[in-house]
Amino acid sequence: MMTMAQAQAGAQAIHAKTYATDMEVNARVDKQADAIASTADSQQANVLATTDTDVQASAHSGTHHAADEQAIIEVRNVSFCYPGAEVNTLQDVSLRITRGDFVAVIGSNGSGKSTLCKCLNGLIPTYYSGDFEGKVLVNGIDTSSTTIAQLSKHVAYVFQDFENQLVRPTVFDELCFAPLNFGYENYKERAQQALRMLDIEELSTQWIWQLSGGQKHMVALAAALALDPEVIIVDEPVAQLDPAHARLIYEKLAMLNDTYHKTIIVIEHHTEYIADFCKNVILLDQGGRVRWSKPVDAALSAIEELQELHIQPPQVTQAMAALQLRDPATQLYPVTIEHAAQLLQPLPGQQLIQPEHSASSPPEPLNIENSSDSSDRKALVIIDNATSGYQSMNKQHTATLRDINLTIYEGDRIALVGNNGAGKSTLLRLIAGIRKPWSGSVNVCGNDTRSTTPEQLSDAVSFIFQNPEEMFIADHIREDIEFFLKARKQEQIEPFINHIIDTFNLSELQQRDGRLLSGGQQRRATLAIGLAMKPTVMLLDEPTASLDIVSRREMTMLFDELHEQVQAIVVATHDMQLVADWATRVIVMHNGEILLDGRSEEVFQQPHLLELAALIPPQIVQLGHRLQWQQPALSVEQFVKRMKQLTLLTSAGPSPTR
Amino acid sequence: MEITNPVHKPGFWEKISVERIKVELLRTAYGQSMTFLSRFDPRILMAWYAFFAITPWFIHNKVILLGFLIAIAILTYTSKPSLLVLLVLAIGLISDAAYMLVVSLMFGGGLAAAWALSTLTLKLLVITLASIAVFTSMDPERLSDGLLSLGMPAQFSFGVAYGFRMLPILIEEYNNILYSYRLRGKSPQKKSLRMLIYSFKLSVIAFYPLILNTAKRTRTTVEALEIKGFTYAMHDPKVKKLKLSYLKITLKDLAFLAVSALYIAVVFYLGSMLEL
Repeated sequence: MMTMAQAQAGAQAIHAKTYATDMEVNARVDKQADAIASTADSQQANVLATTDTDVQASAHSGTHHAADEQAIIEVRNVSFCYPGAEVNTLQDVSLRITRGDFVAVIGSNGSGKSTLCKCLNGLIPTYYSGDFEGKVLVNGIDTSSTTIAQLSKHVAYVFQDFENQLVRPTVFDELCFAPLNFGYENYKERAQQALRMLDIEELSTQWIWQLSGGQKHMVALAAALALDPEVIIVDEPVAQLDPAHARLIYEKLAMLNDTYHKTIIVIEHHTEYIADFCKNVILLDQGGRVRWSKPVDAALSAIEELQELHIQPPQVTQAMAALQLRDPATQLYPVTIEHAAQLLQPLPGQQLIQPEHSASSPPEPLNIENSSDSSDRKALVIIDNATSGYQSMNKQHTATLRDINLTIYEGDRIALVGNNGAGKSTLLRLIAGIRKPWSGSVNVCGNDTRSTTPEQLSDAVSFIFQNPEEMFIADHIREDIEFFLKARKQEQIEPFINHIIDTFNLSELQQRDGRLLSGGQQRRATLAIGLAMKPTVMLLDEPTASLDIVSRREMTMLFDELHEQVQAIVVATHDMQLVADWATRVIVMHNGEILLDGRSEEVFQQPHLLELAALIPPQIVQLGHRLQWQQPALSVEQFVKRMKQLTLLTSAGPSPTR
Repeated sequence: MEITNPVHKPGFWEKISVERIKVELLRTAYGQSMTFLSRFDPRILMAWYAFFAITPWFIHNKVILLGFLIAIAILTYTSKPSLLVLLVLAIGLISDAAYMLVVSLMFGGGLAAAWALSTLTLKLLVITLASIAVFTSMDPERLSDGLLSLGMPAQFSFGVAYGFRMLPILIEEYNNILYSYRLRGKSPQKKSLRMLIYSFKLSVIAFYPLILNTAKRTRTTVEALEIKGFTYAMHDPKVKKLKLSYLKITLKDLAFLAVSALYIAVVFYLGSMLEL
């Protein structure tokens, strides 16, 4: 057995070396290099305390450090104000992005990330006529003195809303569209080339509407590649995708960066992807200021700063920060699982750190009675051998759900997981009564859905759609929230509605149309609408897709608060952290069937199941696997607690033999 | 992987659901890439269609109209139109014929007048069947390119193709909005007149959120079009030429026109000989 400090010291040698190569790639700022040199003796040197000066520092080091590093994008003192807006969305932004970089732009909702990217492809100032000051140079071209079309040959932009940027009916048409518009005679070869680069040639003749979300995103990326741009900007690639598809997109981006030397810029909330794939990070403050621009590991270990701006650092970084475990070479917290595992893993020849459940580190109490011993709890939803599906274009009936048997009990908090198209939405729709089973039956709170209208079922069930905009049917949010109760002519609803609006922090937004809110606000509004229906069973389709960390926590806290009214919650989700630290029961779906119905750790212990359902466990669970824990911790808190117990154990025990 | 379920027989109400209408529309638009008519150049088809859409108005000879009808009915059959479209057509024609019969009886015209008025029904039948035959055989892409090559503005011809591209999304969204109303609303007691009024009211008001959402989603589309060089292309005649270079009128097309012309000539000849 060994102590933390020894583990740290052991890993130092390995890391000093790997870090040196990192250094070359990332061209770290001088200041940090100094800090690194002095870390061996000075534990206090804190690299994390870097400030705004960093931006200048990196620009500075860029020019005199490495002559071969050309800036492909230069933003000089740019301020921008949308027409009609009162405050600037961007405020005096200066940036420099080098050729071949892979940069993540992060910042909380409303910090001007998308606006910044629209400055880079020329939509601002050419298309949006707001107040624009400063200068943007792309490949040496001043964006204000050229056309968007001209810039498109250098910068490609993949919108977050990938559905609406695909304008042609088939994949191949879509890829030909831009090269054709620019009059390239070889537009077909260009389209073919783009398909080949992303290895999606088999999609070529498909209709756009038949594609899954992940495929659509891939096509949008391919369409951008068809013009062979040097810079590719991707706006929130993982927001709408299942984890496996998100990873695939990032792998393709990394490949484009490596093999084709494209400069990649992503706007991203999910820091674990940034840690694994990006090289540098630009942090935007509220009000569109650049706070700093740093290499990825320095950026993501600035935990307090990120959390202050509602950005969730990678789970491993959070855990390591809680344990105060820094990389001895850099004084930074590790940001990838790999790195963290190396720091935690003992040297060869020593014993593995193995938590002993029986003795002193019992896992968090889990609501085991919820999944196994359900006999004494009330069954709210009984699905008996139900099959349902769609009719496809060739008139065949395609079952998206087959012979589903499922009972949902009072007190269940179910996470419904699986790849896109596994049948999650169809199952929710069956329970909500807006889809009837072809065969079998669905019984919700005593009503057979086949003989009950959705209106009648809505007294017991509320269903939150995946797309919030489809739920805004009244003139403003407040009216939307009242809709259900007013339709039932209930009296004295004011206090209740006010309470709901307050809890969801919507009082300032209540008179606005839901469509005009930001993604996170829209999500909160739809949750408020759902809860104002006082449902017994609540169904949510992808509720955390565009929520930042704070809203996400608020949401799960509200669920807990409401347990008296809402007796069961079913959430279809790709959010594995939600699965790990909120759900009491997990249902894994694949191909219209239920593969597993059990507790979170059961799911995370079955790799083949995860692969089938396109799931990737949360980082903290993966780290547990890497450390060969038999029962991995499911949340950062659990992990930290267990590690602390371990260190106590080991330091109290006999000293290790070396 | 798709699992087919041959056992399931949809009920009548399932058949006319919004989702079903979507499937039928898509089938009409894109489903038939290999019908007889789809082999010809879209411009030839449009010219052919123009003839059958316009000339019936000026023909009063039932023999000629019947001659047209036979040929077009056969072509319609080969283009495998969706039942839904035919159903809409049948409802239109039956109500039209019934109304004429009622009117002629009310005004004392008797069956003779109705027989005379049936010429109009025949004309309508020829024109609608011609529309169905041509438009189910020609996918929106070819239609849009055909229009472009005939000198329509690029915005218009793009709009045709884009409209069809958005159709499935819009229908799905409409369906969801409809359910948003239903899942929060309260319906009257089942199977009453009020229920009918309620359903009708919902199906109309659900369009408002749809229109607002569409207005919003268009923003991305317009920006995307700008980036993809759509406006740039409109000022470049070279692009149009490049885009339409695949449209070629071949011997096959000419043969089709020739056969059509011959058939029309024969029908006109027969029409001048016979009288109905």
